Amino acid sequence: MAHDRTAEEMDQFLTERADLLMRTAVLLTGSREAGQDLLQTALERLLRHWRTLEGDPEAYLRRTLYNLAADGFRRQGRLRRKLLLLRAETQAPVDPTTEVDLRDALVRMLLQLPPRQRAVLVLRYWEQLTEAETAATLGWPQGTVKSAASRGLRRLRELAEGWHQAERDDKELRGQRA
Amino acid sequence: MNTDVEELLRDGMERFTAGVRAPAGLAHTASRRRRRRLAVRAAVACGTAAVTAAAVVAVAAGTGGGPARTGPAISQAHTAAYVISRVEKALAEQHLVLLGRTSGVWGPSRSWTYGPRNRFEEFTGSDCGHALPNGNCTHRGGSEPYIDVGTALIGGKLTGVYVSYYNRKWSLLPEGSTPASACSRTGALEMASPLVPTSDWPAFIRATLACGAAAVTGHVQIDGVETVKITGSPVTVKLPPGEARAVHEKWVRSRWTLYVDPDTYLPVRMSGSSYSYGGPAPSTYSAGVTDIQWLPPTAANIAQSLITIPAGFQQVSSPADQ
Repeated sequence: MAHDRTAEEMDQFLTERADLLMRTAVLLTGSREAGQDLLQTALERLLRHWRTLEGDPEAYLRRTLYNLAADGFRRQGRLRRKLLLLRAETQAPVDPTTEVDLRDALVRMLLQLPPRQRAVLVLRYWEQLTEAETAATLGWPQGTVKSAASRGLRRLRELAEGWHQAERDDKELRGQRA
Repeated sequence: MNTDVEELLRDGMERFTAGVRAPAGLAHTASRRRRRRLAVRAAVACGTAAVTAAAVVAVAAGTGGGPARTGPAISQAHTAAYVISRVEKALAEQHLVLLGRTSGVWGPSRSWTYGPRNRFEEFTGSDCGHALPNGNCTHRGGSEPYIDVGTALIGGKLTGVYVSYYNRKWSLLPEGSTPASACSRTGALEMASPLVPTSDWPAFIRATLACGAAAVTGHVQIDGVETVKITGSPVTVKLPPGEARAVHEKWVRSRWTLYVDPDTYLPVRMSGSSYSYGGPAPSTYSAGVTDIQWLPPTAANIAQSLITIPAGFQQVSSPADQ
């Protein structure tokens, strides 16, 4: 039997968990602004059920976050991604040591993946859930999770290969010039 | 190599989100946005499917009438009055019930209109509109009623109502002013939603055409029918200060398009989109496409154009309380 949760409990819950949830939302959307919008949309859903929600509200919120993200965040994904990509291009870091960081490149690539693949990879490698836990969170068959993760990782590996190749070419070129 | 990429990705995600903090007042903002959304829905509630119908008429009128499948097409020779009279005749003779099915950024919805009766039903969408207590999405594909807005018979009188199924509440809708056409910025803005607050379609269209707010822009095949495409002029509206503060945006730009069967002068599809921007919140784009059917006026179909408030639902003072 659920007890009626209060607004104070909501504030307390967010005080403790909001930062982590916000980081997840940023990873799922690609920017702080879009992440905040996603988190607030998920919170709106949570608010509908807050008073009488049975079970763990964080689990509910996380599932809502991921399902919203996996569905392209109100089906705006395509446009939003385009905008974010444009924004990412204009906001590219100027520090050359950052620019050549493969980790940053991988995250940028992650943000270009289809929402479902991105959601699976964030769950698997950010939340560090198993395939079974990821499938349970998203409500998908485990096979779907496995194939989405596989396709997403394959694209990231291709990027990494290209990255290393470019570095080798660059070194070779500099060697020739020297 | 595989492990390297996975570890690098994990590190990259850590770096990417390092220093990210949730803004203060998240819950209050979410609550405000939710109330705002409900209020907006309520504001545009009356006359739901009339939009489509209006669009229909607009289309027909804009086409210049006549089977416009030939020719550079759409001759403008026919007067708007002729076209409108055809539309009026078509609708008057058939007394059809309009059913619009909309898919868009919100959950799927259905619009019904029959004379002054109208109903807009929104269902839980594929984006996990409803969830079980454990957070799992249970209703995908729009299987569960979410919101009903439109007319109900209360005390024998047609009355505007707003019903929310997720919390089993309903409220009366205040009588709002209805735009007489899409000539005004407000009217044009509402054409971009699945709702248009008018049941007098010919008059609405006549006025819209007269001011040049829509134009025939070509032909498009839809389900084997070469329809006439009517495009409304895009409008940009500056939000009133109160609304702008509520949604953290300053401007809304919208556009709408109608597709009309040139033989029947009835619309078969309507699409609309809006883009809000200019404030501290990220820009928001929403769009929807409504496929339209015209159904015979059977008792069952007519009944669909009226809302029946489910037994046991609690009445509250306004949609904002839902």
